[in-house]
Amino acid sequence: MFKKILVANRGEIALRVMRTCQEMGIACVAVYSDADQKALHTLRADQAIYLGASEPVASYLDIEKIIAAAKDAGAEAIHPGYGFLSENAGLARRCEEERLVFIGPPSRVIQALGDKTVAREIMLGSGVPIIPGMVRAESVLQILTEEAGRIGYPILIKAAAGGGGKGMRVVHTENELADACRQAASEAAAAFGSNAIYLEKYLKSPRHVEFQILADSHGNIVHLLERECSIQSRYQKVIEETPSPAVTPELRAAMGQSAVDAARASGYVNAGTVEFLLDADGKYYFMEVNTRLQVEHPITEMITGIDIVQQQIRIAAGEPLGFTQSDVTGRGHAIECRIYGEDPENGFMPSPGTITCLQEPSGPGIRNDCGIYAGFDVPVEYDPILSKLVVWAADRNQAIARMKNALSQYVILGIKTPVAFLMDVLASEPFQEGKTCTDFIATHFEGWRQKTDEADLAVLAYIIDEITGPRRPQANIAGTTGPATPWQTMGSWRL
Amino acid sequence: MNYRLRVAQMDFPVEVEVNEDRKLNIMLGDKKYMVDYTVISDFCIHMKMENGFRSGNVNAFVADGPDGKTIVINGRSYLVQDNDCLARVVQKGRRPNLPDKITPPMPAVVVSIPVTIGDRVKKGQAVIVVSAMKMETTLCAPFDGTVVKINAGVNDKVAPGQILVEIEKDE
Repeated sequence: MFKKILVANRGEIALRVMRTCQEMGIACVAVYSDADQKALHTLRADQAIYLGASEPVASYLDIEKIIAAAKDAGAEAIHPGYGFLSENAGLARRCEEERLVFIGPPSRVIQALGDKTVAREIMLGSGVPIIPGMVRAESVLQILTEEAGRIGYPILIKAAAGGGGKGMRVVHTENELADACRQAASEAAAAFGSNAIYLEKYLKSPRHVEFQILADSHGNIVHLLERECSIQSRYQKVIEETPSPAVTPELRAAMGQSAVDAARASGYVNAGTVEFLLDADGKYYFMEVNTRLQVEHPITEMITGIDIVQQQIRIAAGEPLGFTQSDVTGRGHAIECRIYGEDPENGFMPSPGTITCLQEPSGPGIRNDCGIYAGFDVPVEYDPILSKLVVWAADRNQAIARMKNALSQYVILGIKTPVAFLMDVLASEPFQEGKTCTDFIATHFEGWRQKTDEADLAVLAYIIDEITGPRRPQANIAGTTGPATPWQTMGSWRL
Repeated sequence: MNYRLRVAQMDFPVEVEVNEDRKLNIMLGDKKYMVDYTVISDFCIHMKMENGFRSGNVNAFVADGPDGKTIVINGRSYLVQDNDCLARVVQKGRRPNLPDKITPPMPAVVVSIPVTIGDRVKKGQAVIVVSAMKMETTLCAPFDGTVVKINAGVNDKVAPGQILVEIEKDE
């Protein structure tokens, strides 16, 4: 078993991985950039190594700096988390060359599956059903236009080199195609270092259902059941749950088998996720394999009782899986809400700033994987995920009630968050009825505005605060330039 | 004490009467509230209400902002502003919204500038692309005109309020 692991990531996921390492008695090394000098992951690690400037290319995306950090610290293995270099075959290959263990699949598997078009080709050859579309990336507009015509509008442009919604655009007519391709390619280049894009048919109102798989280096592959991730905004998942309201035991067995087949066809080792789209007729199509730990993995952990990061570390250390498919059972229902630093009343625009106050919900069946603390400056350079709030309960209705209550107790001051939005989504009839599909938010929550039933209570609190204040230090508000003005520091006064 | 407060596009005329230490009688318009309060921390106020328009216990969380205070109750957040303060700000000529200036909606990094000084631009034409948290936003010319000044370069960090590109409007 490893004695020391370097976690090549930041924020909540770096913390989560380190937690399991520390429980297993494995020392962990964090890496950090300028913006993260006081980040929780930097502070909690046994050792922290400075990488460089805040821009990802100068720090978290710099393979050589990360390899050097691992060697300097004497780490035997590197856990890449999610995003950043987690699906970068280059990092995996450099680890192999330097005799560091990459906690994930072998570099050739990442390479193959990391190109979404190659993955589609592998599945096509293995009898796993795929979404109609291209199996090659393309940059020539003429060819893209022809392919789009062949597939038929509406079309979905996707990045070949990565997921997470980056570099995705829906196109309804041919005259939108050129601009959309350019924007998607540019976003993809910024997120994954590659501007390669391809086209798929855009399926109307599908459900996004994915299966967690674990494969050891001895040929054993199991799935850990499904996750329904249909509540999305701008292709970013917002709410995930398991089990999926639409998956019957028969469908679960069939899709689970396809997921295991997909893993075997690609020579998979370690943890991964096979993503499917499920249409209203119960037909499912392979979408892609994510060759990394996913953001939403906690909900699988809640219903199965399995620590997926621990399994990743054991598999990477050469251990065989300690259980078989028949040992895997799901109990109860779990839901995750992603808490981003975003303003839901303003197109979910990122809302960077300093967290002035943080109170996390707690109680039975409540887990908050949190990367922030009161006083922390949320940087502009990275994905704005602040925490993942996860609940477990005996059934779906109880899980919804538990999540609604947990959200109402979650206080984050200093930046905008979608807490009130998430509460309304969970309370809505379509969600309660399990009618979740990928255009859920666009269909039911376009132009959402927060309820104002308790505005009078806010007024009362304001008055009491005025009468009893000032208490809080007048910090410089993020986004303003220059010294604080009397309008900010004096507070209000009256004669 | 009297206040004129504004929240969620509603105006509340407020009269406050101190009943005893930490007990207030408050009139919001014609609704009466009797509030016992306890300051729990710099950010948290506990309110107990009885015999008025509302009854029950509430925990309110308060944060300061440039435009007022943000109050969070039961997961929902409200921006409460003092109309008297707002009136003073407007008098000073500081307008928080600058719809016809090229300024980023949030702190961001400049990705590309597809125009140069001297370019003629049409209303709606892209003049600068910025990125925050990996989301790209394109800012466009608010009217037909000529680019006269560019105040930022690629990879610069920029903030709301900063004018990035100045366009002289066509007569």
